[in-house]
Amino acid sequence: MTTFFQTFLNGLLQSGIYALVASGLALSVGVVGIVNFAHGEFLMVGAFIAYALLAAFGLDPIISLIPTAIILFAFGALVYRSSLRHVLKAPELNQMLLTFGIGIVLTNMALQIYGSTPRTMNVAYQGSSLQFAGLSIGLARGGAFVLAAAILAGLYWVLGRTRTGKAMQAVAQNRVGATLIGLEVDRLYLIAFGVSSALAGVAGVMVSVLLYASPYVGLVFTLKAFAIIVMAGLGNLRAVIPAAFVLGLAEAYVQTYVPDGGGWAEAVFFALIFVSLVWRSWRIR
Amino acid sequence: MNFVSRGWGWSLLLLALAFPFIPFGDRTQFVQQIAVFVLSSATLALSWDVLARTGQLSLAHAAFYGLGAYSYALLATAGVPQILAFLAAGVIAALASLLLGAVTMRLQGMYFAIATLAFAEVIKTIVNQLSFTGGPQGYLVPALLGGDFLGVYYLGLGVLVVLILISSFILRSKLGFAFTAIRQGELVARVLGVDVTRYKLLAFVISSFFVGLTGAFVAGKTFYITPPSAFDTGVSVVALVMPIFGGLYSSAGPVLAAVILRVLEEVLKLVAPSAYLIAYGAILVLSILYLPKGILGLLERFRGRK
Repeated sequence: MTTFFQTFLNGLLQSGIYALVASGLALSVGVVGIVNFAHGEFLMVGAFIAYALLAAFGLDPIISLIPTAIILFAFGALVYRSSLRHVLKAPELNQMLLTFGIGIVLTNMALQIYGSTPRTMNVAYQGSSLQFAGLSIGLARGGAFVLAAAILAGLYWVLGRTRTGKAMQAVAQNRVGATLIGLEVDRLYLIAFGVSSALAGVAGVMVSVLLYASPYVGLVFTLKAFAIIVMAGLGNLRAVIPAAFVLGLAEAYVQTYVPDGGGWAEAVFFALIFVSLVWRSWRIR
Repeated sequence: MNFVSRGWGWSLLLLALAFPFIPFGDRTQFVQQIAVFVLSSATLALSWDVLARTGQLSLAHAAFYGLGAYSYALLATAGVPQILAFLAAGVIAALASLLLGAVTMRLQGMYFAIATLAFAEVIKTIVNQLSFTGGPQGYLVPALLGGDFLGVYYLGLGVLVVLILISSFILRSKLGFAFTAIRQGELVARVLGVDVTRYKLLAFVISSFFVGLTGAFVAGKTFYITPPSAFDTGVSVVALVMPIFGGLYSSAGPVLAAVILRVLEEVLKLVAPSAYLIAYGAILVLSILYLPKGILGLLERFRGRK
């Protein structure tokens, strides 16, 4: 029984980061209308910024969250201004490829600078854990979950309560309508894409502590974020969090209970995307 | 399509046929290596384009490529004559695509792309977990035609030429109109009496047959496959980058792009062995921003000016 609850806890804690990454992607898909295949690479950049700040100034990753978020916001805004903005009306395929290209460039630039060996972070609290009723929570893992929850709460507060946030939701619901009532769509896109990148960067800082920073760490997160937003329905911001829970838990349970589960757990995500997409397509009509 | 006229086509074919006999001095082996990769990439790219003509933007090419590679490896090891194993690789990939195509029939655009990507990842994991495929340890592949360069080259060229013929036939026949109609609006096509289900599956089967052959072809040349190498997502990416770079919905565009990008890639590898992918990614980004209709679009614009 303890195993069951421990697995539940592991899945739950993991889903915090997933939700963070996926909300970023959902913003980009829902508001800007761009499926950003480089989203995971933005996360990777965030992870390396945290690594560089620790290596150069001994800056704790918790503090690095703030500069990383700012740098990634600026970077996202730059990417939007210089490239995405010009393909907004191009076929989906071209947009997808453009972001693919950006991802390839980022991965290989990181490879040039840091090489392919994963860089782990040495922080004091990394190894310690809390024991509670026979369950164990890694301090870093638990902290990341709390932080992720707080950031997401902030994000949803901004989306639901502020003028900019509401305007973004309006764009996500109806692009033409939003333009007609006089919203500055271009500025909203810029902000949404910047926030989307910043969320990826913040998640990257957490990944650098929990896992490691590596040029290849991004792709798998892009794919998992896709799994989540596809389950939630492309562009549906609210459903991202429950979808992240479902996926985090599914992965954890497969890992624990299926024989040789470590290998299968990777496929759980993809099986879920595939089934949920196909299921939806056959139910609608 | 009109741009590369019949005369051009014939002269290029002659050049391709004579290619192995052009002397390159001490670079011969390097050039031969590139030539074989150009052939396999061109087949991959054109097969993707054929499928894309029905509006199905697939990211599952890696799945059929890997299935082809493993089918060939397992069958050839089991004692099936090589050419039969090679063809069977195509047939098995085509059958698998029939399954995928039927299930994803109703998905559109981005949803279709993501579902096919997921399909490829699931197949990769399954092959990784099975024992008779060697799992993560990989599998030794019998050399295709004993590794003889001339044989391998002409086999690759033959496959590509057959695909070009099929592709050109599709473009000029009723099929081409049906594919275009489906791409531009499935509902309208259905109303006009186009059998959408049949044509979409047909495109899938043709495309995947050739992808399966390419997988077997490359595996039979590299002698060793693992799930990550045979089901590499990079295969799916290359397969769609080339048609877009060259010019979509034509026979010439994807093939032309395969030649240019492959040679460029190898040259970049020589010049900057560790940074060539940065340049590759940058070319991709720039060509999308500035060449939305690909190389063919650029050539046509150039010709229109004269």
